[in-house]
Amino acid sequence: MINRRDFLAKTAAGAGAGLVLGTPGLLSAASTGSPSNKLNVALIGHGKQGQVLFESMKNIPGLHFQAVCDIWEYNRKIAVGHVRALQKHTPKDYENIEDLLANEKGLDAAVIATPDFWHSPHTVKCLEAGLNVYCEKMMSNTIDGARAMVKAMEKSGKLCQIGHQRRSNPRYRFTLDQLINGNKICGQIVNANAQWNRAVKSSQNIAYAEKLTIKQDILTKYGFKDMHQFMNWRFFRDLSGGAISDLGAHQIDIFNWFLGAVPKSVYATGGNSYFTQREHFDNVMALFDYDTPQGQVRAFYQVLTTTSSGGGYWESFMGTEGTIKISENSATTEIFKEASPAPKDPNAPKDPNEKASSLSWDNLVQRGFLGRKAAPVVAPVAGGVTDSRVSAPPEGFSLPGELNKPPHQPHLENFFASVRGEAKLNCDARHAFLSEAPIYFVNPSALSKQPIVFTPEQLSV
Amino acid sequence: MKHKLIVSILAASSALFITGCGDNKKPTGATAASGATSGGTVGGVALALNYPPELIEGTPKAMNVPNLVQPPDKDPVFLVPKEAVLLSKDKKVTGSDDNPIIGDLKLITDGDKQAGEGYFVELLEGPQWVQIDLEKSAAVNAVCVWHYHSQKRAYKGVVIQVSDDPKFAATATTTIYNNDYENVTKLGKGSDNPYVESRFGLIADGKGAKGRYVRLYSNGNTSNEMNHYIEVEVYGVPQ
Repeated sequence: MINRRDFLAKTAAGAGAGLVLGTPGLLSAASTGSPSNKLNVALIGHGKQGQVLFESMKNIPGLHFQAVCDIWEYNRKIAVGHVRALQKHTPKDYENIEDLLANEKGLDAAVIATPDFWHSPHTVKCLEAGLNVYCEKMMSNTIDGARAMVKAMEKSGKLCQIGHQRRSNPRYRFTLDQLINGNKICGQIVNANAQWNRAVKSSQNIAYAEKLTIKQDILTKYGFKDMHQFMNWRFFRDLSGGAISDLGAHQIDIFNWFLGAVPKSVYATGGNSYFTQREHFDNVMALFDYDTPQGQVRAFYQVLTTTSSGGGYWESFMGTEGTIKISENSATTEIFKEASPAPKDPNAPKDPNEKASSLSWDNLVQRGFLGRKAAPVVAPVAGGVTDSRVSAPPEGFSLPGELNKPPHQPHLENFFASVRGEAKLNCDARHAFLSEAPIYFVNPSALSKQPIVFTPEQLSV
Repeated sequence: MKHKLIVSILAASSALFITGCGDNKKPTGATAASGATSGGTVGGVALALNYPPELIEGTPKAMNVPNLVQPPDKDPVFLVPKEAVLLSKDKKVTGSDDNPIIGDLKLITDGDKQAGEGYFVELLEGPQWVQIDLEKSAAVNAVCVWHYHSQKRAYKGVVIQVSDDPKFAATATTTIYNNDYENVTKLGKGSDNPYVESRFGLIADGKGAKGRYVRLYSNGNTSNEMNHYIEVEVYGVPQ
């Protein structure tokens, strides 16, 4: 069987490809530095998401996982085992973050993947202890918790990256920088649409063997009513923001990032159509109104944990000349060119950055900015009469490559490169707050069945 | 750590594209496994397996392996001789990684096939094996494997062998299943297709291979590099 040394040598040889995306010199994620530039890292929370992040960090050079923390002994064993397997070093493990911070010296960074209601306290403690922090999104279960994280980051002078990992995904950065802004293939973006739909069978309670139940005094100490709540904290209002936070936050962040704006209002609805005993809604639909430099945009978002209908998770930006539907899942990514380019609206506000309308999609294909899909099939029309109700089918295109590393890895690479002073954070806590702030008002809008028009105070730190 | 990962942007003309994205196949039936809709011993009786409930968690990961067989949508029917019995319950399990990251090798034959935390053993990355001692030689008709079924994923380099030799010398070993299309286990390239884990697991046709020991290999999975087992059940006729 292969041993660890052989394994590392094998993976090193194949690691160079990293990302694969066409077009010359358009994107670059920062170098992650030399292995000798060691960073001592603490893992705070090693449940499912903590393990996803660990898998994404395993191939980043120079990281030394010094200590791990989780209130569940079972998760601590997994964390210790994963670190031991990776670096032949058994890290010290802690139930309590205060003990970790008091005892562990020389830490450079903490990676936090605890339940949402612990994000803010844990992040603030780590920043105050002088650590740089990578914290999973949603920043907090409350907007005030998120505000505290921004203040702690700025007061400490340390770095705090929030886990909106698409912000570092080269596919997303390429799409925004080169296709939407650089070549304006959408024309004027007038609408956006996104979803994360999951089947009921993928939304069940998380199971555990009874023998692993945490003692009640420990559960109570850390804010959990019982083991079920500990395992399924995402379903409880005091512990998380629910599906709109768990899943929707990623994609509403893309709305705000790609549109270069924050919404001016939200109108949401939600309910418990299937999981009637859960505190949080099992389905939420939200409408956001934006004023962007290009004009008004309305964005619709839905998160359904009750059906996978509609093809999983993606974000779509619909413009007068084209539509980009993008996802972390490359199979869902699609780009469409309107069959008939829109005539220029003489009354439209002038965009100072507007390019001459010499856009040639063929040229973009030739230059490797786009791939071309098969030509659309035009349905025969009875009697040769054109159906005026139907637009001509759009021509399909694709992004020219895909990421061949875990989706969280580029964002973590960006974080650690920033800690080394070799890059700038792609999603620091302040920028994350600006994008997340409107999301905190989705559930209140749905509960009150009222639209909420944001005030500057609501969306500011 | 010597290896270096660089996010590289390549010119489109020279871009390295990732292909073979789950060239999905429907269940084929025959000998194989997850997705077997029929198979086993001609004239035999249907193997009565107790399938665990379905429980899927989290966001699925891409499964970039070729010829991927999708799980069945109903209980597979697999035939075994009427004399066949469960041979592996609570039998001793050993392995190439004697210090599992989480769990215990005993979980593999404890009879509990549930998904969720605490029901599986996790072994180190790279090719690893576990071995069940049936205590007596038997004619093995079916080896049923549940690696991990709370996420859609495919395990790589899955090879199942039967032998009376605890060292599995090649001359005394029968390979009953092999989807190691890359030959990472160095046991020879296999012709069975990788499959998506599900609550139905894998049913490998033993075809009456004789042996006291059953050894199962794997080489990580499409979600991470580790190797997992929830349960293995060996059915056959004692000799």
